[in-house]
Amino acid sequence: MVRRRSVLASASLAMACAALTPPALAERTLQEYRYFRALSIDLQGRIPSRAEVARFEDPTFDVGQWVDERLRAPAWAERMRTLYMDLLRLEITTAVQFNPQSIVLRRQQILGPDGTPEYVYYRFNQRRSRPETDGDFCLTAAESGVTIDTTGAQRGTPTRVTAATLAARTVLVRPWWLYRDYRAAAPADRFNASAWATRFPNFAPITQLQQEPDGTTVTAAVRVCREEASTAATGTVYFANRPRPATPPFGRIINVPAESAWARTNAGMPLACSGDVAFRSSADCGCGPGLERCMPGANSGTNPPAFTFPTRAPLGPDDPLDQASQAQDDWNLFWWSQEAQRFIEHMVSDDRDFRDVLTARDTWVNGPLATFYKHHAAASCCSASAITLGYTQPEGLFDPARVPSALLPHDTATWTRVADRGPNASGLLTMPAFLVKYGSRRARAHVLYNAFLCRDFVAENVQLAPSTEPDLMRRPGCAACHATLEPLAAYFTRVAENDWTWLPAARFPVMNPMCAGATAAAMSATCRAFYDPAFSSASMGMLRSAYGSAANADAGPIGAARAITQSPEFAACAAENVASAFLGRSLGVDDAPLTSGLSQTFSAGGYRMRALVRAVVLSDAYRNANNLDSDTWRQGASP
Amino acid sequence: MIRCTFALAALTLALGACDAAPSTAPAPAPTPTDAGPAPVQAVPVTSIPGHETLTQDATRKEGPRLMPAETYIRSYLALFGNLAPLEVQTRARGADGSALFDAWNDYLAALGLPDYRVDQPRGNQTNALMMATFERLGVALCDRAVERDLRGTLPLAQRVVFAFDGTPANLTETDFAPRFDVLHRTFLAYPARLAQTDRTRRFFALYQGTVARHRATGAPASRFTPEQAGWATVCYGLLRHPEFHAY
Repeated sequence: MVRRRSVLASASLAMACAALTPPALAERTLQEYRYFRALSIDLQGRIPSRAEVARFEDPTFDVGQWVDERLRAPAWAERMRTLYMDLLRLEITTAVQFNPQSIVLRRQQILGPDGTPEYVYYRFNQRRSRPETDGDFCLTAAESGVTIDTTGAQRGTPTRVTAATLAARTVLVRPWWLYRDYRAAAPADRFNASAWATRFPNFAPITQLQQEPDGTTVTAAVRVCREEASTAATGTVYFANRPRPATPPFGRIINVPAESAWARTNAGMPLACSGDVAFRSSADCGCGPGLERCMPGANSGTNPPAFTFPTRAPLGPDDPLDQASQAQDDWNLFWWSQEAQRFIEHMVSDDRDFRDVLTARDTWVNGPLATFYKHHAAASCCSASAITLGYTQPEGLFDPARVPSALLPHDTATWTRVADRGPNASGLLTMPAFLVKYGSRRARAHVLYNAFLCRDFVAENVQLAPSTEPDLMRRPGCAACHATLEPLAAYFTRVAENDWTWLPAARFPVMNPMCAGATAAAMSATCRAFYDPAFSSASMGMLRSAYGSAANADAGPIGAARAITQSPEFAACAAENVASAFLGRSLGVDDAPLTSGLSQTFSAGGYRMRALVRAVVLSDAYRNANNLDSDTWRQGASP
Repeated sequence: MIRCTFALAALTLALGACDAAPSTAPAPAPTPTDAGPAPVQAVPVTSIPGHETLTQDATRKEGPRLMPAETYIRSYLALFGNLAPLEVQTRARGADGSALFDAWNDYLAALGLPDYRVDQPRGNQTNALMMATFERLGVALCDRAVERDLRGTLPLAQRVVFAFDGTPANLTETDFAPRFDVLHRTFLAYPARLAQTDRTRRFFALYQGTVARHRATGAPASRFTPEQAGWATVCYGLLRHPEFHAY
């Protein structure tokens, strides 16, 4: 019996090995095997399987054809994505928060008519026509026993809210985070953890958002303050025309909102309900159907926890390495980064002109991104200063009207191409991931200069002498770098710092007589938010960052993309970046012939990454990389 | 390479300086008190006995580069049977209390994965923590593969790692070699016979030693048979091999 099993085992082993043992005529060298393994690592993103090694050993195996097949598959795009992510690092630190009051729905716990604890969702500083609650929680201390302080924390002891008060001040809503069909008259397709993990991977509200305060009762609908529950698409400018007392009235902790001169002048003017202006200036704009304009939060803080999703996705969101409860603003931050990464991957896998990575007006969005661009992006505009300068309806870098309407917030795995984001869109340069990661205009210019021209700002032998010269292109010691940096930074003049708000020329001319003032004291505070007294005169204000080049300021990010991609260094830099990544080392002067050849291949082939990578992996430099082994080179191999 | 160029330039200058004929009258000979060692007269390299035919190697020498962390993880997933990362985490952790695997997030930084959120760059060189992580992940992979491939009745065609019969006792080196070759191809992607050292013999010794220790009287209890433990150890050795992580 033992012997028979052994024979069978030997037979099985022989069969297994027969499939793996190369034919005698196809003797490959160690260097060839290593080359094949390297190709698999770089083009397939993993080591080759035994079956692939066996195919490689076939005498008819054609490396060039195999490479071409890999370059038509999606895996190599991931390699290119990581290469450019290493250069651009387009993920946002959690220290950055995107939680404008207009989109964050916090919640307070009250006692219902029968004494049962209930949650009521509301927006901090929501305008309401009732003076007792204008800019505050929708239930007064007299009605609920509690008041809200400036941090959103409750003060006082909850008392039962009467049914009539609840009915008058609040509404029950079936919200988007619990219902797929939240736009329907009677939503019924409620969140189901196991089913939705397949239907909408990476979409899962945290447990606290699915349950009532008792921790067991399933939430069928959420109670929301009546103003927040408004589904209107447009509202009107609200002007209460009442004095703001020195101390908060009606037992409130938070005072009633201050009325602006702009609201007084424009009272009754129609407003689109998306955006910060509508939130702060109208009492009839809410969170829209199913509360889709707002993000939920499971407490009363400024950035409450909301969803469970990957903290990082180095293999892409389809292959998450974890699922963690995260704050509501992390949801948007995560998808901004995914947009940029998917854009790069498509640029490569679709074999497009790689210059498009900076110049293209198209992008890819999924449900969360569609929701962001449609409902959340405008929440960062416009500041009180901008409103005073007449900027109330923000012009986005991504026109919300072009967002695919079929995408719902749950469609995390459904990516749709948007052919044209709008006239000011320009590749990565106008995506939130880029604009927030590189918040200042100089930072944006610097990373472009570094990642796409392979150049850096390094001043040598500079003596920094004390100087009051505001123009860094002239100031001794600074000019060496800033003479180049400032004009490049000027391209981003019209995109607000740490933000994606577009500052249109009609409202924000580079030279603006309305914002004249040669000193900070001489210029109004409103103007100083956008205009730089250091470069302004008594007759004209100059838009911040435009002093490097007024023409570049008006050219915008599109001009920056054009300047970078038309530079002769663009192709050489792409070739250097790719070759350096695939060879696993920095390139030096000895590599000039290689880089030059690759650069020529890249530009002559229409700036296609596929041709460039093909040239790299078929080059002698790549074939003979990893040749340090003494036996190899002493035997006469020529790397 | 740049450093090498500088060194060559310096050497050239030095040799040139030695070769150069004095442009002016020679300086007076130093007095015995301040004279250093007698100067070495420059001569062509080829005039030095034994150097007449010495060839100079000017080719670039490149060491292996580290596999990107993403590639390591994808390869790991493939070796687990092309499962999703969280499925692998579940399988690797198991329910046996063996503490073979923690969670992916515990390993990402150690594997050299960049964290773009905080501008932490990619780790392109190994370090002690990274090696320890390779070791730990390798042990988890190999142990679970032994359980899956060698303990059960999984057909050979479905075995991702141990695609051979690993149960025979008292393997000879001849029996060991083709089986080891399967593992060698799985992890290092080339036949073991091309390895530049006597790798098969060394790994056979490793296998034999492990089997013997597990068979010894009074050996600690193991969840593996001596043969399974032997193959697991061979698997560890290949997964921690520099040729696995580098390419």
